[in-house]
Amino acid sequence: MLKDRIEKALAPLNLDKVAPGDYSKTGYHLEVDADPVKMPQVAQAFLGEGCFLESLTALDYPEHFTVVYHFANFRELCRTVVHARVPKGQEALTISQVYPAANWYEREVYDLFGLKFAGHPNLKRILLPETADFHPLLKEFGATQSDEA
Amino acid sequence: MRLEPGIEEKTYVLNLGPQHPSTHGVLRVELEMEGEFITKAEPDIGYGHRAHEHMAENRNYLQFLPNMGRVDYLHALAYNQGYCMAVEKLLGLVVPERAEFIRVITAEMNRLTSHLLWVGAYLMDLGAFTPFLYCFDDRENLLDLLDRITGSRLTYCYYRFGGVPKDIDEEFITGCRAFVQRLRSRWADYDNLVTKNVIFIHRTRDVGLITQEQCIKYGLTGPMVRGSGIPYDIRKSEPYSAYPLFDFEIPIGERGDIMDRYLVRMREMEQSLRIIEQALDKLPNGPIMAEKVPKRIKPPEGEVYAAVETARGEFGCYVVSKGDVKPYRIKLRVPSFGNLCILPEVAVDTLVADLVAILGSMDVVVPEIDR
Repeated sequence: MLKDRIEKALAPLNLDKVAPGDYSKTGYHLEVDADPVKMPQVAQAFLGEGCFLESLTALDYPEHFTVVYHFANFRELCRTVVHARVPKGQEALTISQVYPAANWYEREVYDLFGLKFAGHPNLKRILLPETADFHPLLKEFGATQSDEA
Repeated sequence: MRLEPGIEEKTYVLNLGPQHPSTHGVLRVELEMEGEFITKAEPDIGYGHRAHEHMAENRNYLQFLPNMGRVDYLHALAYNQGYCMAVEKLLGLVVPERAEFIRVITAEMNRLTSHLLWVGAYLMDLGAFTPFLYCFDDRENLLDLLDRITGSRLTYCYYRFGGVPKDIDEEFITGCRAFVQRLRSRWADYDNLVTKNVIFIHRTRDVGLITQEQCIKYGLTGPMVRGSGIPYDIRKSEPYSAYPLFDFEIPIGERGDIMDRYLVRMREMEQSLRIIEQALDKLPNGPIMAEKVPKRIKPPEGEVYAAVETARGEFGCYVVSKGDVKPYRIKLRVPSFGNLCILPEVAVDTLVADLVAILGSMDVVVPEIDR
């Protein structure tokens, strides 16, 4: 089983949480919490198992960002979510040297959240104009439409 | 991005787009050229950014549903389905069987419209005008059929949380069956007109090669990976809705060139016809809406990821709920964004004319990339 192999590959990294997920409820077979500095090694472990980076995004909380990575596999159904908490004011680590796919996703997170990825080869805005001076998906950016109805 | 002079004197910068016909939307590719050959290609995206993900956080769940028809306007129903599935998972709603069948039939019809448009428009990129007219003639039939049921021709908003709002009728079923026969009778024409065309073969064979290793590293999905020989199709790999009940195949290519991606899409259309046929044969009776759909959609706290196969690849809908009437965050994992990011690597050392062929073969929908 791919799930067991991934668990085995992640074991030496000593991560905060590696637990089976409730697939019917969340769509995850495996849920992982990782320290952001370990992300390049985590990504390397997934690449070693032939997984691909499905999506990479972030969530904005008052005290920290949570960078959310989804990994899946072409041959066997096993989706893993990796949550990495990055305190406000700190930088996350890029995994674009492992997965070139992360290059654009990390630029998107930087563009929309202002979260920087240390070691990224080309960290600049991707969707918004380079002259923009805001990061629209921060909660403090606020809404433009009220929806109380 | 400003236009900067080439790094060395022997190279120059060429802009492909933002209003280039082959980009099918507003996409700019900044090319560094050495003579006729590309030494570096950098796509510049975001011209059509409409902030869908930001809108999601400021609307309630139902208000965000019409946005789904506007992300990928060519396969809108797959987006409807992905978002509905994610919210249904959060709410714990079970969709009645008949509704699942109707979803499958309409989503497959929508896939056919998308592929037919791609074939026509792509061949026009390569200089062939006639196939475009054939494809649009066929596609028009589908749009008319879907129009009767969904009320729109392109930006569908037909699925609801828990089912579909309007049942299909006898006229629709008869029309569908007639269309399946009609499109089947056309395959020979398409083959003679396109697949066996020597100019087309020379433009596409062994051009734009993508290896399986690149597929994994760049996270490609859809016909892009299947063209490279990986049978990854979410309808089979991660079965959802009523797809496990039907018998269909996943066509794959051998070399991973443009020709393979073209053949994969053509064969996929026949598989879609098979699915539609079987779904019409087995269509069960019963309700089309789940019984207990709350009036006020307020899912419990949690997060969910739901994936569907669109005409271009995997659409993943990642929804985070904090128990509020509005989502805390919705991330749309769109296939065109994931597929386009390989362009800088594939484009190097090709001709501009080949780049047009490669870019077209990716079947990108630019508003989907920009979101």
